[in-house]
Amino acid sequence: MGLNISAAVQIRALADTPLPELPALLVPALGETLAMVGIVMLIVVSLGTPIAVALHNMAPGGLFEHRGTYSVLSWIVNIGRSLPFLVLMAAIVPFTRFVTGTNIGIAAAVVPMSLAGIPFFARLVENCLRDVPRSVTAAARASGGSPLQIIRTAQLGEAVPAILGGLTINTIAMIEYSAIAGTIGAGGIGYVAVTYGYQRFDQTVMLATVLLLIAMVTIVQLGGDALVKATTPHLRRRA
Amino acid sequence: MITLKKLTKVYGNGPGALTVLDNLDIEVAPGEILAVTGPSGAGKSTLAQCIGLLERPTSGQVIVNGEDLASLPERRLRVARRRIGTIFQSASLLSRSTAAQNVALPLQYLGVTPAETKARVAELLERVGLAHRADHYPFELSGGQRQRVGIARALALRPSVLLSDEATSGLDPETTLSMVALLRQLRDDLDLAVVFVTHEMDTVLHVADTAARLEDGRIVEQGRLVDLVTDHDSVLGRALQPRPAAAAPAPGSTPWALSYDSRAVPADWLQRVSAELGEPLALLAASIQSIDGTSTGTATVGLRAPAHQAAAAFARQGLHAVPVRTAGPDPVSTAVPRATEELQWA
Repeated sequence: MGLNISAAVQIRALADTPLPELPALLVPALGETLAMVGIVMLIVVSLGTPIAVALHNMAPGGLFEHRGTYSVLSWIVNIGRSLPFLVLMAAIVPFTRFVTGTNIGIAAAVVPMSLAGIPFFARLVENCLRDVPRSVTAAARASGGSPLQIIRTAQLGEAVPAILGGLTINTIAMIEYSAIAGTIGAGGIGYVAVTYGYQRFDQTVMLATVLLLIAMVTIVQLGGDALVKATTPHLRRRA
Repeated sequence: MITLKKLTKVYGNGPGALTVLDNLDIEVAPGEILAVTGPSGAGKSTLAQCIGLLERPTSGQVIVNGEDLASLPERRLRVARRRIGTIFQSASLLSRSTAAQNVALPLQYLGVTPAETKARVAELLERVGLAHRADHYPFELSGGQRQRVGIARALALRPSVLLSDEATSGLDPETTLSMVALLRQLRDDLDLAVVFVTHEMDTVLHVADTAARLEDGRIVEQGRLVDLVTDHDSVLGRALQPRPAAAAPAPGSTPWALSYDSRAVPADWLQRVSAELGEPLALLAASIQSIDGTSTGTATVGLRAPAHQAAAAFARQGLHAVPVRTAGPDPVSTAVPRATEELQWA
C-alpha cells in the first residue's frame, strides 16, 4: 500500500518537467507551430484571395457574372468548409502522402491545414468584398479601369481593413488547427501539449502550453487590430 | 454631343422579358443640360447605365461625337467609357484614398505619368473649389465636398459628355444649389453636353435647359424647359412648377388657379387685370421664377368678377386661369389643383 503511494509520487515527480527545462521543450515547438501557421497562411492568402475575387465577381452583378461557374466554385468551397478539421485531416491522408511523401510532420500538417484554411479565407474575403458598396466598382468602371485595375483598387483596396480582420480570424483558426494537427505527430505546441500534458499528466507543461497558446492568439489579435487601425483612415486620423 | 438612337434595353428573354427602355431618341448638344426625370421604375437608372456604357443596350445606338459606342467590343468599350464622365449618387469615392488620389484614379488607370497626374489633379480640384482639401479623406469631407470630388474625378479625362446619375439626391437644398451652380459653370467653361438624371423636380428647374419625362421606358414628353413650364398642357411643365398652398379667399370671392401660359406675361399683370376688372385682386399664393430670362410660375388669386370676364382678362395677359371650386369644407386644400398632387415624384 505504502509502496504504491510512493510509486505514484515517484511517477509524478518523474513526469513533471522542471521549470528550467521548459524552454528547451517549448522553444523548438513554438518554432514548429510558427512555421506551420506561417507556411499555411502564405498558401491560404495566395490561393484564397483569388478564389474570393472570382466568387465575388462571378456572382450576379459582378464584373464577369457567370452563374454556372459561380455555383460550381461555391459548391467546392462549401465542401471544404463542411468537414471538421480532424475528420478532414484523417480523410485526406492518402492525398497528403501523395503530395508530401509522408503523413507525419510539418509538411504533412500543411496540406490539410491549407485545404481547410483556403475555403475559410475565401469566404471571409468574399464577405469583405460584398460589403464594399457596388457604386464604388461602378465608379471605377466608369473611370475606364480594366477588370484587374478595378479589382485591385476598388474592390480589394477598399476591403483591406476588413480583409486584415479576416486574416486575423483565419490565423487564429490556423493556430488552433496546428494544435489539432499536433495530435497526429505534426509537432509544434499542440504535439507537446498532447504528449506531455495529456498523455503524461505533466501539469507544468500543460499549463505552459496553454499560456503560450493564449499569448500567441493575443499577440495575433492585437497585431491584427493594429493593422486594421493603420489601414482605416477614420480610425488612424482620430486625434 | 451625345445622341441616343432607338435605344432599347430588354432584360431576360421569351415571354418573361422586361422592356425597361423602349426606343429612346435623345440628343444633347454641347453646352446643353438635359434633365431626364420621371417616377421611380420608369427606367431612369437603366438609362443612366446605358449612357455611361456600364450596361450594353439590347439595341440602338449611343453616339458620342459621331461614333457609336454601344456596339464596341468589351475592350474598346472600356476605353470609350472615358469619353463620358459619370457622377454618381453619394460620390462613390474610395474611402481609403484622399480627395486628390480619388481624382487621380482615372488618370492612374490610363497610365498617365505621376507628374502630369499631379498637375491635372491640382487643376481639377481648383476648378471644383477643393484645392485646400486635396489631402483629406472622404470621411473628413461634407456630402457636398465629396460630390465635388466626384465631379472632379468625372472630368479627369476631359470627357465631352457628363452624366449625372441622381448626383444631387440626398444632398440638402443649399448644397444641391451650389452643385447645380458648379455644373452650369462647368458646362459653360468646358462646353459639356450634360445628361442630368434625377427624380427631384425642383432641381430640374434650377439646372436644366431642356427636360425629358420618362415613363414606362418611353420618353413621353421632351422640350426646352421654358416651353414646358409656359405650356399649361404639359404634364412635365406642371410637375416642375411648385404649387404653394393658397390662403382662403375673402367671403364672396372665387379663387382662381393661374399659370404663366406664354413667354410674354407682363410683370405687372396683377395690376393690369385688377384695373381691367375694376376690383383689387387678392394674391393667395404665388411662385414665380425666371427661366432663361423668361418669367414663369403659378399663382392663386381671389376675385369677385364674373367668370367669363375674369378668364378673358387673364388670357389677355398670357395667363391660363381656372376657377377653383370651393365646394369642399376646406377651401385651402381645394385651392391646390389635384394635378400637382398626382405629379409629386419623390
